[in-house]
Amino acid sequence: MLPSYLTMAAILFCIGLYGALVKRNAVIVLLSIELMLNAVNLNLVAFSKYGVVPALTGQIFSLFTITVAAAEAAVGVAILIALFRSRGTVQVDEYDEMKR
Amino acid sequence: MEIYTKAAWIIPLLPLAAFLLLTALGRSYRRAGVLIGTAGALAAFLLSLLVLIGRLGETAVDYSKAFDWITIGDYTLRIGFEVTNLTSMMLVVVTLVSLLVNIYSAGYMKSDERITVFYGYVSLFTFSMLGLVLSDNLLSLYIFWELVGVCSFLLVGFWYARPAAKAAAKKAFIVTRIGDAGLLVAILLLFWYMPDHRLEFTMIQSVFDGPSGAITTELSTLIALLIFLGAVGKSGQFPLHVWLPDAMEGPTPISALIHAATMVAAGVFLIARTYDIFLDSAAAMQTVAYIGGFTAIFAATIALAQNDIKRILAYSTVSQLGYMMMALGLGSLTGGIFHLFTHAFFKALLFLGAGSIIHAVHTQNIQEMGGLGSKMRVTAWTFGIGALALSGIPPLSGFWSKDLILSVALQENKLLFIVGVAAAFCTALYMARLFFLVFMGKPRSSLGGAHESPSVMTIPLMVLAALAVVAGFVETPWNGALGSWLSGGIAEEAHSSGIAIIASIAVGVLGIYLGWLIYVKGSVSRSIVSDKAPWLVMLLERKYFIDECYERILVKPLKGLGTLLMALDSYVIGGAVRLVSAAADSAGKAAVRLQNGQVQTYGIAALLGLVVIVLAIVGRRFWS
Amino acid sequence: MFTIDFTGEYAAFFLFSAIMICGAVLMIMLEKVVHMVVSMAAVFLGLAGMFVLLEAEFVAFVQVLIYAGAISILMIFGIMMTKHQQAEQAPVKPLKETLAIIGSLSLFGLLFYAIRRTTFPEPLPFQPGEDNTMAIGMTLYTGYMIPFELLSVLLTVAFIGAIVMAKKEAD
Repeated sequence: MLPSYLTMAAILFCIGLYGALVKRNAVIVLLSIELMLNAVNLNLVAFSKYGVVPALTGQIFSLFTITVAAAEAAVGVAILIALFRSRGTVQVDEYDEMKR
Repeated sequence: MEIYTKAAWIIPLLPLAAFLLLTALGRSYRRAGVLIGTAGALAAFLLSLLVLIGRLGETAVDYSKAFDWITIGDYTLRIGFEVTNLTSMMLVVVTLVSLLVNIYSAGYMKSDERITVFYGYVSLFTFSMLGLVLSDNLLSLYIFWELVGVCSFLLVGFWYARPAAKAAAKKAFIVTRIGDAGLLVAILLLFWYMPDHRLEFTMIQSVFDGPSGAITTELSTLIALLIFLGAVGKSGQFPLHVWLPDAMEGPTPISALIHAATMVAAGVFLIARTYDIFLDSAAAMQTVAYIGGFTAIFAATIALAQNDIKRILAYSTVSQLGYMMMALGLGSLTGGIFHLFTHAFFKALLFLGAGSIIHAVHTQNIQEMGGLGSKMRVTAWTFGIGALALSGIPPLSGFWSKDLILSVALQENKLLFIVGVAAAFCTALYMARLFFLVFMGKPRSSLGGAHESPSVMTIPLMVLAALAVVAGFVETPWNGALGSWLSGGIAEEAHSSGIAIIASIAVGVLGIYLGWLIYVKGSVSRSIVSDKAPWLVMLLERKYFIDECYERILVKPLKGLGTLLMALDSYVIGGAVRLVSAAADSAGKAAVRLQNGQVQTYGIAALLGLVVIVLAIVGRRFWS
Repeated sequence: MFTIDFTGEYAAFFLFSAIMICGAVLMIMLEKVVHMVVSMAAVFLGLAGMFVLLEAEFVAFVQVLIYAGAISILMIFGIMMTKHQQAEQAPVKPLKETLAIIGSLSLFGLLFYAIRRTTFPEPLPFQPGEDNTMAIGMTLYTGYMIPFELLSVLLTVAFIGAIVMAKKEAD
């Protein structure tokens, strides 16, 4: 079963990657990043059951990841709101501060 | 007197010092420039004279001194100077003509803006020529040989604003380069085959003189012919003579100094210095003799139909150099050197006289001149002496040297004797034509302002005229002083021959008489030849179409090749360069577009980079 | 290669996979932002189901709580506090999109290739413990005590920071 889970995780990761690279709405970009993190979580949990040495450690790690992801989402949305306030838009391609 | 010989190395350094001083001074010191240049030449002349006097006795021993220049491994290249009777004579000739030309130029170049530069070049030339004369080995001779060529280039193209002068300078440089390449190959061959890689003239003499067997006859023929190629280029022999008439675009004093008296004689001098190689090879000697003889008659006939006073003299120079080569080829070192010696004086005289005429009438076309004899008495008299000397009228110097050559030719090779006599006849005829057209006849109204040149220009003429009269007496049929002196006491076989003397005088007088009939008395029509055989006149006027042939056969294909190579350069090599630059440019533009400040673009770039790296790592499994 | 014995776990896996892939693709494809967030919630829930399949009940519970609950709501708040009239109207640059598709697909290809090439050894039997939540709690408070505490500090800092940043600059 392990390859199926891993393939599933790869599919999710690649969809998330595509969304993060292409979507112009900053909120959706954040969502896509969450999708990628979820794919990682799936891997961790799948290995925790089907790995060579099955253990609870994988689940613990996925808990940590979820926590960090929650923190990241909170900070991300806060940054988004601040940006929106200063620039008046959430379109990613209008944020080109890195060029200046 | 030995002390002067030992100090001979100072002689070239005096003009060099003058050149450096003149170059440092710049253009503003016009009078000082003249004085410095002349002083350098005068000092060199006086010292040369002392050296010559010191060697006049029978007992003079060749003196050479050298020091180590470059040491490469086991081989040591030595450089130094050597004084022999031949070189001491050449020293005097070169410095004397140079001195007189320096004096003369003070008048001739008076109004030229770059007179200081001119004197600098003349001094540099004098230095190079003296260095060439004093060199004790072929390599340093070659260095000075090239330096002389550079000076010739600079001075022919002195009036570089004129396109003709530029073209002539380039032509002179390129055509002599062909000969120089031959000389270089000859030197390399000698270096390769000589014992211990020695290039000193004394070593060459001792190797080739005896039956040492170090170098085979075939090889010495090859070397001799290659050296002769160098001489052909420098001395304007057929077929590389084309540059010399064109070189007349330079200032006239330069034509006298470089292209009549000294530099063009360098080829003759070179053969005289390496004469032992030639003596080793009969085939090479014959080639030299026949090329010389052919050049003598060939150039003399062209001179008959030219109208530019300097070009006539230039072709005359080519013809006389042919005489010298012929003499050398026939085995008479004395004849060649003797003619070189006398020719230097009377041809320099003729050129300086021509310069005086051009200075007065501002044209070079003899058809536009006439009746100048009454207005320019000194010039006319001295020019007349020079013309008579060139025509071989006794007792002027040209007679003796030409007679010696013709006597040798009569003894050695009847065909070349006939050629020489015919060339002597042509010489007399064209000199008569030149003299009568310029100085006799009715004065032209357009030349009303013509007047005698200043004394600074006429005094050199008179000195040279005196020398042209007396220089021949150093070697007469009954007194072979020069020959025995040159060969170090061993008197050359006397070649005096009544037939040669009579023939020589006869053709000289006949040529002048015919010229007088045509151009003064008018009893023979001027157009008699052009009416009957217009093609002949055409052929002579166009110089046997040699230039046109070269243009067709060599210059055009070479230019085509050049165009092709240039296209190759600009399209293939330049294209590659442009491709590289375009690649860099477009890469830069792409990078600028990539650098648009948007995180997502950077993310895509990072993703693609990751994919490429992983693909490379994975792919290595399959293709390793 | 794809020799899979059709068990109950497989059927459930297939179901959840279908839900998740549909949700993910819809998230990419849909026009309105709120719809996207809702389809994303479907993905989160499907993943929670998959965690249950993997005998990680506690993680599944946390997943529903945090992702499907907190983060989805957070995103919706984010959407509500920003304007989205012109959302996703202007077409994306074709070159950028093509490159992104190529990159993503080839990355997936590489991952898939790697997964299929690898032979995974037969795992030992998994011992999730009698009570999964209790087992996790035991491990967390014994072996991972310090990371756990650090994580709580991180969370606090992040939330305070988020509040500071999102606050109107009134003062």
